Amino acid sequence: MEIGFIGLGLMGRPMALNLAKAGHHLHLWARRAAALEPFKDTGARTHASPAEVARHAQVVLTCVADAPDVEQVCLAAGGIAESGKRGLIVSDSSTIAPAAARHIGERLSAQGIVFLDAPVSGGAVGAVNATLTFMVGGDAAAFETVRPLYEKMGKSVTHVGASGAGQVAKACNQIVVAITMEAVAEALTFAKKSGVDGAKVRAALLGGFAYSRILEHHGGKMLERDWKPGFKAWMQQKDLRIVLQSAHELGLALPGAAAVAQMFNAMVGCGLGEEDNMAVVKLVERLGGIAQ
Amino acid sequence: MKLGFIGLGVMGRPMALNLVRAGHELSVYARRAQAAQPLLDAGARCCPSPAEVAAAAQVIFAMVTTGDDVEDIAFGQRGILEGARPGSVLVVTSTIAPAQARAIGERLAAHGIEMLDAPVSGGERGAIEASLAIMVGGKAEVLDRVRPLLDALGKTVVHVGATGAGQVAKACNQMIMVACIEACAEAMALAARSGVDPGRVRQALSGGSAASRVLDFFGTKMVERDFAAGVQARLHHKDFGILMNEAVHLGTPLPVVAQVWQQLNALMAHGWGRDDTSSLLRVLEGLAQPCGCP
Repeated sequence: MEIGFIGLGLMGRPMALNLAKAGHHLHLWARRAAALEPFKDTGARTHASPAEVARHAQVVLTCVADAPDVEQVCLAAGGIAESGKRGLIVSDSSTIAPAAARHIGERLSAQGIVFLDAPVSGGAVGAVNATLTFMVGGDAAAFETVRPLYEKMGKSVTHVGASGAGQVAKACNQIVVAITMEAVAEALTFAKKSGVDGAKVRAALLGGFAYSRILEHHGGKMLERDWKPGFKAWMQQKDLRIVLQSAHELGLALPGAAAVAQMFNAMVGCGLGEEDNMAVVKLVERLGGIAQ
Repeated sequence: MKLGFIGLGVMGRPMALNLVRAGHELSVYARRAQAAQPLLDAGARCCPSPAEVAAAAQVIFAMVTTGDDVEDIAFGQRGILEGARPGSVLVVTSTIAPAQARAIGERLAAHGIEMLDAPVSGGERGAIEASLAIMVGGKAEVLDRVRPLLDALGKTVVHVGATGAGQVAKACNQMIMVACIEACAEAMALAARSGVDPGRVRQALSGGSAASRVLDFFGTKMVERDFAAGVQARLHHKDFGILMNEAVHLGTPLPVVAQVWQQLNALMAHGWGRDDTSSLLRVLEGLAQPCGCP
């Protein structure tokens, strides 16, 4: 199968490399030429526009930042829609608002192009190790066509429902992840301010009901003070904006998510936006008057 | 002076009437023709589109609901742009996002039309009594030209800063006001749950440090369980959507306001959007009720 891939950032690059490693022939486009460098020896072909990529592929995967970027790649001049290729499948792994995904899907379907929203969870580590979780919304037959590709990039692949349902699942995922991240940060800071060894607390908690992958992985990194980004704070802020704006439109109160979103507003405001989202622990420490 | 007024709702109608009473020649436009009737009775002239209003006026007021509504009357078909002469002034009294106010101002400036963002606070009563607080963003010399008009609408007119600054001030106003309504609701709920008369509590508080115009007005509505709209809660909900999005772009944490926003979401879910924002009390009461759900 000829596969297009657009968006070779922190997540997209390892995802595309895993497809290349599995023997797939890739067609690429990137805004910055440097992003194409890691694909030099994979036999991938580079094109001048997303439309050119679409002309050469049966499936185009995208992984960009936000809804305006997806719209740009899909619907702007030189975008995928311009290829006018009926039956083409576009699978977008960006995290955008469910309503935006449905809207883009409708616009593409007018050109006979099938759009799947296929956001992922698992961070850069999951992308590199091909252990991502895919949450997919859209046409079931198109999903079955793309499934083998998802399985090369991830471990858990679920067709959640109709167009937009993948993004709804991702929003749910971010509610749980962001609040848990804050909970782990608060617990470890509570231990620290109480004069108790956070590492021992974490070890104790890992055996009980407070166990979570976030306590294990991110809790460990918080203790080591290793802020190298898997998932950057500004992206968490963006995802929580999507969650809360959707809740606003739905008429749904999310007090916990709203509280945590304020911490991520502060992260970006104080210049920690490029660090991993687990660096939120620094703000909890700052609020608690703990010198860093 | 020849003036125009677009948007004759709960706020716009009394504001427009005050301009007519101040002796100005007023041309009006409203989407629903019957909204203009009280103005026509007072001697205003009705126009079929914003363009005609703009053609007949030196200063045009807009009091519509959303930023997109403002864009529509300014740049849409038969919009202000099609009728306005260079040098005329658009005064936007709607509450919209600061960034959108700036963008609209720039687009108008390219055609030689001045814009002030001049959102108001004080509710329907303030509009009727011409006692509104008006917060203005834009050029000082443009404000000087229209200040006598604003003085006919409100009691305090403050030049806050450049275009958009009026909207920033309005966002600050909404944050304090609705957070204060929520605080009053929580106090009333605590009093009632304690078996103490909320009316007496409100009365006692009004002499002390917790006294505020919100406690006075909205507190009384809560005590009397009069949830009919002074200000429709859906408009506060709309404003909170705008300002919380602004907080994301600015990287500013707003912990309390974010919680109040969630209470407003719950209020909307109960279908009380067209009732008064004092309905925040009913949201709390609902949460504390024994749950009959399975």
